[in-house]
Amino acid sequence: MNGYGGQILRVDLSSGKVSKELTPAELARDLIGGRGFGIYFLLKEVPKGADPLGPENKMFISTGPMSGMLMPGGGKCDWTTKAPLTGGYASASLGGHFSAEMKYAGLDMIILEGVSPKPVTLFIDNDKVELRDASDIWGKGTIAVEKMFKEKLGEEYQIAVIGPGGENLVSFASINHDYGRQAGRGGVGAVMGSKKVKAIVIHGTKSVPVADPKAYREAGFALYKACKDAAGLKDWTTYGTVITEIWCNEVGALPTRNFSEGTFEGSQGLSGPTMREKIVVTDKGCFGCPSPCGKYSRSKKYNSYVEGPEYETVGLMGSNLGIGDIEAVAQANLLCDDLGIDTITAGNAIGWAMECYQKGILTKKDTDGLDLTFGNVEATFAMIGKIARREGLGALLSEGVKRASKKLGQGSEKFAIHVKGMEQSAYATHNATAMLLAYMTCDVGAHHNRAWAITYDIQVGREKVVPEKVARVIWLQNFRPMFDVLGGCRLQWVELGIDRNLYVPAFEAITGIHRSWEDMEKVGERIWNLTRMYWARENEGFGREWDMPPQRFYQEPPQTGSNKGQITSLEDVNQLLDMYYEQRHWDANGLPKAETLKELGIQELVV
Amino acid sequence: MTASLRLSGGLKDVVGGRDRFDVEPGRSVREILIGLGIVPDTIALVVVNNEQQSKDYIIQEGDAIRILAVIGGG
Repeated sequence: MNGYGGQILRVDLSSGKVSKELTPAELARDLIGGRGFGIYFLLKEVPKGADPLGPENKMFISTGPMSGMLMPGGGKCDWTTKAPLTGGYASASLGGHFSAEMKYAGLDMIILEGVSPKPVTLFIDNDKVELRDASDIWGKGTIAVEKMFKEKLGEEYQIAVIGPGGENLVSFASINHDYGRQAGRGGVGAVMGSKKVKAIVIHGTKSVPVADPKAYREAGFALYKACKDAAGLKDWTTYGTVITEIWCNEVGALPTRNFSEGTFEGSQGLSGPTMREKIVVTDKGCFGCPSPCGKYSRSKKYNSYVEGPEYETVGLMGSNLGIGDIEAVAQANLLCDDLGIDTITAGNAIGWAMECYQKGILTKKDTDGLDLTFGNVEATFAMIGKIARREGLGALLSEGVKRASKKLGQGSEKFAIHVKGMEQSAYATHNATAMLLAYMTCDVGAHHNRAWAITYDIQVGREKVVPEKVARVIWLQNFRPMFDVLGGCRLQWVELGIDRNLYVPAFEAITGIHRSWEDMEKVGERIWNLTRMYWARENEGFGREWDMPPQRFYQEPPQTGSNKGQITSLEDVNQLLDMYYEQRHWDANGLPKAETLKELGIQELVV
Repeated sequence: MTASLRLSGGLKDVVGGRDRFDVEPGRSVREILIGLGIVPDTIALVVVNNEQQSKDYIIQEGDAIRILAVIGGG
């Protein structure tokens, strides 16, 4: 099958049996790959009501036709599972070089099922597949483990590894790769930990069949040339994702002190130029990337090296905790990566705890003596460790803010910043109605990568609640995640603004199938409806209430900054949902109608 | 002699497909953006002659200006 490895590797951890099956051609035709494959198998193979951390849950790691190919951004793979954090759909995207090695080992998907009786490493070298004892590395940090494998096996081997966070089943544990890339959100690392899989080591040397090699070279070259000629390449590469930090602060979108504000007085200390000047050593990209957003940094203060921080980490571990020192954020980033927990949720959880402390809901008795005042760097470092070890207050925070606030009560639910149990990423949405809707309806919880609409809010008018905004969010939700289906990175289109139609001949040359973006957006719509139906299947009473945003964004206007005093009303929130459901052809409770599923041709997949 | 302005990313779509403009000196970058139909708050970075400047920078003759937007986001 052109553009595919051709095989699915199934690993039954309970019995130790490994087997391979052919990638179904009709699945590649209908859902292409990546998260399309993931949701298909999640619905089909993981039984309703499965415990996310039990033997019935499975991990589906999928590449797509872009993965490992010579086109910009071909270094992504998708990790789909039932989320320990939310009880719903998890789909985490991993960059770096793992996906290319998967493809070269002939694999479109790896399925992990069952539970190993002891810690193991899944070792894959082309057709050689082994489960190796990992008892000696269980308990170790991700960076030491990756370094050990690289030294032992060679740089060409790619490693995905969990840290103590995943081993201890922290509900937002991540999977680390290439020292500083993560499958970050939803608790995918805890699922690995529950299965006693410490690491996956992979290497492949097989070729990938392409339909038209000459056209493939030409189309790939045209994409790289467009990136090279893009006006923003130099600035994007210089600052990476942190380029947005100053802008977010200017427009009141920088999460500050648990999202109570969108403007931070210490913003300058976290900016892209500050970071570049103070800590960045060099740029670091994923497989085949012409515009590396990754920054390899050194903190003199903490005598440490880290890949990052990315903007999301700067927002959540910096301003959201009242910390304005880029070196402190880099160190917090390193601790999270090495311990294997998601920086976005960790920054939210610690921010929530700091607000509890500020309000007297938590005291030093609860924190083992830690002074959890906003801005306390050392207390932040200590809490990261406590979360990963599930120790003291860290055990409560390790459950994420939805469950933690429910347990603690005393009004703390009002400032638990999440949707569907996933903590919000780094854009404050007090008065940005399209971005708020994007978070409310995102299919993994409050994450930004499916639809990023805050600039559109500013273009159209932040407070406006109009059908055009809703249509924009839906279009983005259908289109942007297609890169997670194709096994590629969206940032060349997103940040460099290259013409997306340049991808079309490349896909055709690789797979032999012509698909316009309109065709691919239809695939995106099918997947969006499938993930919605998964939430409904797994959560009794799922519907409109689950799409409600954190109360803070419709009850507590910011007191500082450019959008001081501005807030979205509850009436507007409900109107946004009404319009969204109508445009999606869902019912008033936010569930896809039978005729909608039929029209999309997916009714049989969701029975 | 005029100054040159180049739009990055998806900004050209906002102004009808063009990404390079000649602009008259003496006006601020903000004024030029508004004149092109771009909301200044959507702009993340203004770079003039390879140095970062504010949107209120007054354009000089011969300046080479790059405008970086955050149209797509993270």
